[in-house]
Amino acid sequence: MIVWPRPRPRGLARFVRKYPLGAAGGSLILVTMAAAAFAGWIAPRHPLDTDLLKMFAPPGPGHWLGTDAFGRDILSRLLYGARTALLIGFSASLSGATLGAVVGVISAYFGGTTDLLIQRLADIMISFPIIILAMAIVAVMGTGTFNLIVAIGLSFIPRVELVVRASALGVRRAPYLEAARAVGAGHRRIIFRHMVPNVVAPYLVMLTVMLGQAILLEASLSFLGLGVAEPTPAWGLMLSGAAVEFVQRAPWMAIFPGLAISITVLAFNVLGDALRDALDPKLRT
Amino acid sequence: MIPTLLAVAVLVFVLVRVIPGDVVELRLVSGGTFVTKQVVEAERARLGLDKSLWRQFGDWMTGIARFDLGTSMWTGAPITHEIGIRLQLSLQLALMATLIAVAVAIPLGTIAAVRRGTWADAVVQVISVSGLAVPSFWLGILFILFLLSYFHWLPPLTFTPLWQNPRANLLQLIWPALAVGYRYSAVTTRMTRSSLLEVLREDYVRTAWSKGLAGWRVVRHHALRNALLPVVAVIGLEFAFLIGGLVVTEQVFNLNGIGKLFVDAISHRDYTLIQGLMLLVSFAYIVMNLGIDLMHAWLDPRIAYQ
Repeated sequence: MIVWPRPRPRGLARFVRKYPLGAAGGSLILVTMAAAAFAGWIAPRHPLDTDLLKMFAPPGPGHWLGTDAFGRDILSRLLYGARTALLIGFSASLSGATLGAVVGVISAYFGGTTDLLIQRLADIMISFPIIILAMAIVAVMGTGTFNLIVAIGLSFIPRVELVVRASALGVRRAPYLEAARAVGAGHRRIIFRHMVPNVVAPYLVMLTVMLGQAILLEASLSFLGLGVAEPTPAWGLMLSGAAVEFVQRAPWMAIFPGLAISITVLAFNVLGDALRDALDPKLRT
Repeated sequence: MIPTLLAVAVLVFVLVRVIPGDVVELRLVSGGTFVTKQVVEAERARLGLDKSLWRQFGDWMTGIARFDLGTSMWTGAPITHEIGIRLQLSLQLALMATLIAVAVAIPLGTIAAVRRGTWADAVVQVISVSGLAVPSFWLGILFILFLLSYFHWLPPLTFTPLWQNPRANLLQLIWPALAVGYRYSAVTTRMTRSSLLEVLREDYVRTAWSKGLAGWRVVRHHALRNALLPVVAVIGLEFAFLIGGLVVTEQVFNLNGIGKLFVDAISHRDYTLIQGLMLLVSFAYIVMNLGIDLMHAWLDPRIAYQ
């Protein structure tokens, strides 16, 4: 009897088997995305519906996760809050990481004065913690969802830029790049055909890490009153004000939104760790 | 160091000046009251905003050279005074958080690296990866809930200096320090683990094992000493960045520190104060970087400086 070797699982199947934790994180993210997308169908109530007869109702049959100081259903607000978190998280990290990657590749490819100037600017921006930089940008631009996306995205640029630039520098002197130049390839062709594919791995890893960071940042800024404004359902906002004031009377107000933030950010971090190990073991953050 | 700081100053100055509209109008009009043009002009002159940009920058720079960061647009008090009265609290909080982080991270990271792949490693990994995901302000709220439910006690709002009443002071600050310290120790634990794992693969560690040294001796004297360099760097950088954690934690515990001052400055749009604080944050980071370099030279004699 011939025993054929079992085919090695490829692609997604291999990733799931090798990095079960990362796969679990990825699935959790899919669940959160589904919750955000179908919030209108799943949510038992409208997130802004107030019921003054049912303020601070404990978790029970009518309100699975209880109600807040205005009698609003916490589960519904959490589901709609996932929209805010993912909208800001994805827009901010996608724009920030992409711009950072573009600047990083440009800096590495052109070198010289361009590189020097970009690096000095990045050094300066990196001397501030992300949240401080984002807060300063919010101070200049004002609060609100769009401004928050810009503030968070901008503060990500230098961090992604440094990592991508380091990867791009690694291939700048590669013989195949010289060969491409020798056969007359232009800047655009060299950058897109030869350099960009080499920075895709660090870009994806940074993107995942920044996604978790962006959700955490949005929550922190909203908690401080510098992010999205009431009555928009947002996890960080749900933890400010009444949640702290009445924490003993209605602990569910404080517990569930915090759990939502922690679990979502954890899922992105775990997926980011697994992606890093799978795609780019050299990279350590 | 001076050129970087100067560049930071320029960036902060420009950032504050690109605000759409006029700072003064923004502030006066947002009060909701009707103001005449004269009032706006007078306020502008008082804050020195009627001068040219170069003059304004020059004034700010000469002030900084004399350790004068100007006056707060909101309270009217000198910024150095506003920072000075809050520095003690925040600095103590930062030091306590660092102590917690080091005390937790180095043993945990060492265990995880030495027992790699075992359940102990898994537990440490779960603890540290969660530390990066749990928002410190939520942890603070949970602490408050815990203290209220079991002790019917809340940390007082007014700050007691350490030398006045050490017990009250530590009881007050240990909770925010733990809330900030968790994330800090998570970052440090991860660094300790991965750095130690690398060193444990080195030839001299194998030599130490093969000549029959006791296990703890190999780990402590041969491996850990060499693994600590990047760990020290992370501890230093995270210390300089602690202001980011304090910003939210001081808000939860209602502590009047630098973090809360920064939040208040942002919500009041107190631009002179924002300027001063940003410069201070960046200064802390630059000084810390220098400190880490010097520390490296001391810990590792192979690194020499011209």
